Amino acid sequence: MSRSYGRYALLRAAQAVVVILLAYIGTFLVISVLPGDPITNMLRDPQNGLTDDEIQQIVAHYGLDKPVVIQLILSLGRFVTGDLGFSLQSNLPVSQLLGDALPSTLTLAGTALLLSVAIAVVIAYGVQYLPSRWARGVLRSVPSLFLSVPNFVVGLILIEIFAFRLHAFTTIDPDSAAATLFAALTLAIPVSAPLAEVLIANLDHESRQEYALVARSRGLSQARLFARHLVKPSMLPAVAMIALIVGELLGGAVITETIFGRDGLGTVVQKAVTSQDVPVLQAVVSLAAVVFVTVNLLADLASPLLDPRLDAKSERDAKSERKVVVPV
Amino acid sequence: MTVSIETTREALIADRPLPSTRPEGHPLLSVEGLSVSYGDASVVHDVGFTLERGQSLALIGESGSGKSTVAKSILRLLPTGESTVSGSVNLDGRELFGLPERQFRPLRGRLLGYIPQDPSSALNPVRTIGSQAHEAAALAGESDARVRRRDILSVFERVGLPDPERVYASYPHQLSGGMLQRVLIGLTVLPRPALIVADEPTSALDVTIQKLILDLLSELRRDLGISLLLITHDLAVAAERAESIVVLKNGIVEESGSSSQVFSTPTSAYARQLHADVPALNPDRYRSQRGAASGTTPPAALPAVEVHAATKRFRAGDVDVTALDGVSFTVARGTTHALVGESGSGKTTAVRLLLGLEQPDAGRIEVAGTQVHGQTSAGLRGLRRHLQLVYQNPFTSLDPTWRVGRIVREPLDRFKVGERAGRARLVEQTIEEVGLPASVLSRRPGQLSGGQRQRVAIARALIVRPDVLVLDEPTSALDVSVQAGILELLSRLQREQGLSYLLVSHDLALVRQLADTVTVLQRGKLVESGTVDQIFARPAHPYTRALLEAIPRTSPGLAQS
Repeated sequence: MSRSYGRYALLRAAQAVVVILLAYIGTFLVISVLPGDPITNMLRDPQNGLTDDEIQQIVAHYGLDKPVVIQLILSLGRFVTGDLGFSLQSNLPVSQLLGDALPSTLTLAGTALLLSVAIAVVIAYGVQYLPSRWARGVLRSVPSLFLSVPNFVVGLILIEIFAFRLHAFTTIDPDSAAATLFAALTLAIPVSAPLAEVLIANLDHESRQEYALVARSRGLSQARLFARHLVKPSMLPAVAMIALIVGELLGGAVITETIFGRDGLGTVVQKAVTSQDVPVLQAVVSLAAVVFVTVNLLADLASPLLDPRLDAKSERDAKSERKVVVPV
Repeated sequence: MTVSIETTREALIADRPLPSTRPEGHPLLSVEGLSVSYGDASVVHDVGFTLERGQSLALIGESGSGKSTVAKSILRLLPTGESTVSGSVNLDGRELFGLPERQFRPLRGRLLGYIPQDPSSALNPVRTIGSQAHEAAALAGESDARVRRRDILSVFERVGLPDPERVYASYPHQLSGGMLQRVLIGLTVLPRPALIVADEPTSALDVTIQKLILDLLSELRRDLGISLLLITHDLAVAAERAESIVVLKNGIVEESGSSSQVFSTPTSAYARQLHADVPALNPDRYRSQRGAASGTTPPAALPAVEVHAATKRFRAGDVDVTALDGVSFTVARGTTHALVGESGSGKTTAVRLLLGLEQPDAGRIEVAGTQVHGQTSAGLRGLRRHLQLVYQNPFTSLDPTWRVGRIVREPLDRFKVGERAGRARLVEQTIEEVGLPASVLSRRPGQLSGGQRQRVAIARALIVRPDVLVLDEPTSALDVSVQAGILELLSRLQREQGLSYLLVSHDLALVRQLADTVTVLQRGKLVESGTVDQIFARPAHPYTRALLEAIPRTSPGLAQS
C-alpha cells in the first residue's frame, strides 16, 4: 500500500497548494476591483504632509502604478516568500499583527473544536444507549436546537448566567482560562450540532448492519460491540466533517471574540475591514485558506489509513485475485 | 489435512466449558406456541416444532412468512422494544425466554451459532478477518492468543479456505462472497455449538458456490454432530438438506413432518403449490404452452438477435480485463435463448453491448438485421423500440415517485406513439395483458408487491410492441410462487405475441423451464451452447456439469447420505 499511498498523498498535497494559491489570487482580484484606492487615499491624507512627488515615488516604489496583473505577480511572489507586507493603518508588519493575534484565536478555536467533538460524541452515544426512551428522544432533538440558536445568543446567555449570576468567570479578564472555556463553548455549541447529527446517523446505520447482529450472536456485549465494532466505522464520515467544521470555527471566532471582548484574529479582521487595510485583509484571507486547506488535507490523508476499503491498491489486488470485474 | 482436522476437534472439545444438562430423550430444541408481533401486527402466530440432536430441520416459506423472525427470536436477536415475543423456546434443557441477558449471553456462540444470509455484510468492514476471528475465539473462552490463532487457522482450513494465513490477514472486502461465507461458517463452528441457525446461508451466492456451501454445512453437521436449523425459501434445497420440514405461511405453520413426507405427499394446498412452483422440480411446466410458439416460425427467417464474435475489454486499475471474449449466439424469432453464467461470466456485458450501452472492441451485433454498434443516438433509439429490457430488481427499477400509469406510458411519450387518448387506451390494454387490474394505474410502486412491480416493468417494456425482450434475471428478486406467476405470464405473452426472449440467468432450473436454446458463459468465454435438451441431457463441458449439479436433487432424503 505504501507506494500508492505515497503517490496519493503527494497528489493531494499538490492540489492543496494550488487551492491556496488560487484563494490568494481570488482575494487579490476581488480587492483590486473594489472602488477607491485605499493606499493613495491614505498617502494623500494632509496629516502625512507628503508632496505629490513623494507620493509618486512611493507608489512607483511599491509598483502600484503598474497593471493589475504585474501587481498580482509581484504580490504573489512576496506571499510565496513569506513577506506579507505592512499594515496601512498601524505601519506594523502584517506578520507581526497576525502573530500577536493568532495564539489567542487558536486557543479559542482549538478548545472549541475539542469541546464540539466531545459534545457530539456524548449526544450520539446517549441517543443510542440511554436507558429511557423518552430521554433518547429528547437528546435526539438537541442538535436541531443547537443549530437553530445563533452563536451570539448562546454567548450572551452564557455570559448572563455564568459571569453575572454564578460568577464562574469574569468578563473583565477575557483571556483567563474560565473565560476562554466559556467563549469556546459558545463557539462549540452550534458547530457540534451537524457533527452530532452525522454521528447519530452513522451509529444508527452501523448498528443496523448485519455484522453487528452477527457479532452479538457470538456473545459480544452491547458495550463492547459499540467500542470495538461501531465507533470506528461511524467515525469515518465524521473525520471529513471535522475538517469542514474548522472553517466554521474560524468564522465563528470573529463574532465570539467580539462578544467576549477578546483580542484575536477577529478584532484584527474587524479593524482591517473598517479601515480598508488591504494587506491585512489579504493576509487574513490567505491564512484562513491555508488553515482550511491543511485541515482538509489531513482529513483526506487520514481516511485511507482509517478505512481499508479506501486503499486504492489493495482494492485492486483483491479484485483481480477475486474475479473478473464487470462494470455494471 | 486429516491431522489438522484432529487438532481442530481436540481444540474444540477442550474449550467447551459449558456443562450440558443433556436430559436424554429430550429434543435439543423445542419451540412451543411461539408468537411474535410488531406493535399490533402479528408476524408469527403459535409456531411450534422440535429438532432432535444432530438432526437438521428446514423452516421454509416465502418472504413475509415469518421464517426469519422465528430464527431471530430463537437467537434472541429481534430488536428490543419494537417486538413482543411470547411462547417457549427450550434449548438443551434451558428455557431461553426466561433467561436474563447476562445468563443468555454465554450461550450465544457456544451453544447456539448463527450464520447470516449475506456474508458480505456480516463482518466488520474496517477490521481484519483475523482480529474478528480472535474476538470470536476469545468469546468462546480461549484466553491464550497463540492457541486462538492456531485454532482459527485450523478451522479456516477445515472449512476449505485456501491459504488460511492470507485470509487471516485480509479485510472482508478483499474476499469473495463464497470465501466470506466459509469464514463465517468457520467462526460459527469454532466454539462447536450444539445448534446452528442458518438464515438463507446461500441466497446471496453464485449457484455453484451455493452447492459447495450447503455441502460443507452437511459435512460439518455429520462430522461434528451439530444440529442445523436451516431457513430457506427453496423447497428443493430444504428437501435435499434437512430431515424434517416446517412450512410457514403468514406466520402460521401450514404443514410439518419429515422431508420425504412433506415433499412427496404434501397434505396442505400451500405445500402442494410450493412444490409445483419450484423450477427445479417441474422442468416441463411451461413446455406445452410454449411449444406452439417455438415451432411456428420457419427456420430460414432472419434471427431476432445475432451476436457474432463479440469482444469487450475493460481497464480495471492497471490490469486489462476481457469481459467478453469472442462470444457468438443467436436468438431465433419467437424463441427463448438463455445466457447462463455466474457473476463475472460476461452476461451483463453482453446485454449492455446488445442495448448499445457499450461498444464492442471487436465483433458484430445485429438486432433484426440492423447493426447495433456505430449507430447514432437517434438510430439507437429506433433500435430500442424493437429491443426492450426487463430489469432484475423491480424494487429499484421503477421510479418510486411516479404513478404506474405514467411509468407504463413513458415509452409511448418518448417514442411519440399515437395520440394522447390512444396512448391512455394502450396503457390500459397493456396493463390488462400483464394480468393487473386497471386500478393499479393510479398507484405508486411502493404500494405494489414485488410480483406486481415486475408485471409493471414487463408492461413498460411491452407497450412499444418490441420484437425482443431482454429478461435480466427477471425473477431472482421474487418468491417462488410469485416467480411462477411471472414465468406463466412470459410464456403466455410469447405464445400470443410471437416475442423473442433473451433470458439472462444463473439459475439453470429456470432456464430449463423457459428457454429453447442455451449459451453457457464462463469468465467471458463461451464454453458450451445448444438446445436445452442437449445441454441438460449431455453436458459436454465440466463447468456446465458443475452448474447442472448445483440444481437441488429432486428426490428428498439425501441429507443423511
